[in-house]
Amino acid sequence: MEADNKQVYGVLAEFRNPKELVDAASSVKKSGYKDFDTYAPFPIHGMEKAMGLKNSPLGWIVLGGALTGMIGALALMIWVMGYEYPMNISGKPFINLPIYVPITFELTVLLSAFAATFGMIALNKLPRFHNPLFNVERFEKASDDGFFVCIEASDDLFSEEKVTKLFQDNGATHIETVYDSE
Amino acid sequence: MSKPKITDSLEFPSDLNVTKSLFGVGVVGLLASGVGYFLEHDQFFFSYLVSFAFFSSIALASLFFVMLQHLTRSEWSAVLRRIPETISSNIWIWALFIIPVLLGMHSLYHWTHAEAVAHDPVLQGKQPYLNTPFFIIRQVIYFGLWSFLGYRMYNKSVKMDDTGDWGLQTLLRRTSGPGIFFFAITLAFASFDWLMALDPHWYSTIFGVYYFAMSFQGLFAAMILIVFFLWRKGLLTSTIKDGHIYDLGVQMFGFTIFYAYIAFSQFLLIYYANIPEETVWYLERLSGGYEYLAYFYLFGRFVIPFIVLLPKWTKSSYKIVGTVSALILASHLVELYWIVMPVLNHHGFHLNWMTITSFLGLGGIFFGLFFYRFKQNKMVPINDPKLADSLNKH
Repeated sequence: MEADNKQVYGVLAEFRNPKELVDAASSVKKSGYKDFDTYAPFPIHGMEKAMGLKNSPLGWIVLGGALTGMIGALALMIWVMGYEYPMNISGKPFINLPIYVPITFELTVLLSAFAATFGMIALNKLPRFHNPLFNVERFEKASDDGFFVCIEASDDLFSEEKVTKLFQDNGATHIETVYDSE
Repeated sequence: MSKPKITDSLEFPSDLNVTKSLFGVGVVGLLASGVGYFLEHDQFFFSYLVSFAFFSSIALASLFFVMLQHLTRSEWSAVLRRIPETISSNIWIWALFIIPVLLGMHSLYHWTHAEAVAHDPVLQGKQPYLNTPFFIIRQVIYFGLWSFLGYRMYNKSVKMDDTGDWGLQTLLRRTSGPGIFFFAITLAFASFDWLMALDPHWYSTIFGVYYFAMSFQGLFAAMILIVFFLWRKGLLTSTIKDGHIYDLGVQMFGFTIFYAYIAFSQFLLIYYANIPEETVWYLERLSGGYEYLAYFYLFGRFVIPFIVLLPKWTKSSYKIVGTVSALILASHLVELYWIVMPVLNHHGFHLNWMTITSFLGLGGIFFGLFFYRFKQNKMVPINDPKLADSLNKH
């Protein structure tokens, strides 16, 4: 089926159970690959460590949203109520921090929530309507009883033979090269 | 279900003389304060009330914590539960320490002065609630209920250590449901009686929640420090793990925000509405040097803990969590002082030595009682069906 001009996307290997998947992931990491991912029907404890995943930068994105909201709200209120259009409200000072707290709080929370939602979507590279892995029929098992590792061709160390060998050494039950659909 | 594996000894070592030294500090502190009674008896009662409200808040928050864990069938806390259980088991002894407050009612509470009430229509209106006999009856009801609940929570849990009868779990859960309901009501009214009634003209309907929020935040800080103390003595070092401290840190962080929300809600509404009889309470407390105490606890129990405990790694660092806990407890004491003391020294802030001696006195007795009881039983509910999951926390 596969024509020669099709681009190799990566090599997909299937493993028997979560334990073998974790072992395979850590040996893939040890071999120095960076562009790889694992696929399983449920979250596997200890997988982040095995894959050497770093903390998600999402927290910092949310912090950015929060600070933007906080500073924006305070700046707007201080500017409007303190300088641009001061109003006497029951004799209180024009720039009156306690009264600014609810709006500052609300805007901080709102922009944090936006940053969390959209930051998460962006970090997951969504929306994405197709993934070359869907070309592999077996891959449907990833949402049922299949445990997969895929090393992607974009990795500097990638070569089909070496990767296939690595998977074989780790006891993969099924190895397949994945092609881009174009 | 596998039997939980515990490698630590679960008996509090009997050669540790914590109890004796704590009781020693307690007795000396109370005696010193007792001398103060003859010098300045109004000051004695106010100083005593600050410390009494402080340690009662820890005891009551413990009782609430235990009932909450039973109601939610929490697994994470099973290994820690004996600590708050032990604290709440002593409420029936702690009840004796309300007696000095009752004896000092005339010094503490303006509304006990018949001649003041005679000229004051507001106090006359409140007389059906704020009168000496009913005040005393209420204290008996509160402490009766709390003693019953606290002792039962502890007693049945200890019984389960011996018999391994899991039916006791169900029994405690059934007690906790109505228990938590009556606890909420009595705690709110107790805070009205002890603290809000110091300014009988002033009222705040959120005050019960405010006292509860302070207490519950303080409890997590106290529990973290107690665990660190046990660890330092080499106890339970491989039973209570990083994960448990992290969980306590998370809860402390959560209730830091809850506390700030409630405390600020009370302040903002009064500040915004600007009604003289309500604002006067804050006016007295934000002038004459008391405003520095307010800034201290604002930063000490909200701003700093909030910022510091925000990242994940700080909540698993013992040094940081321990320091923040100590800061929160200090702020808790300062805040109670800030609530109580302006009633006596309304011309300005003035720290009296009796505040320190009565704090040490009541603190020594409180923790002396805690360790005295803690010694008598295993430090972990050994037959609790949820213990195995609690031990396997990551």
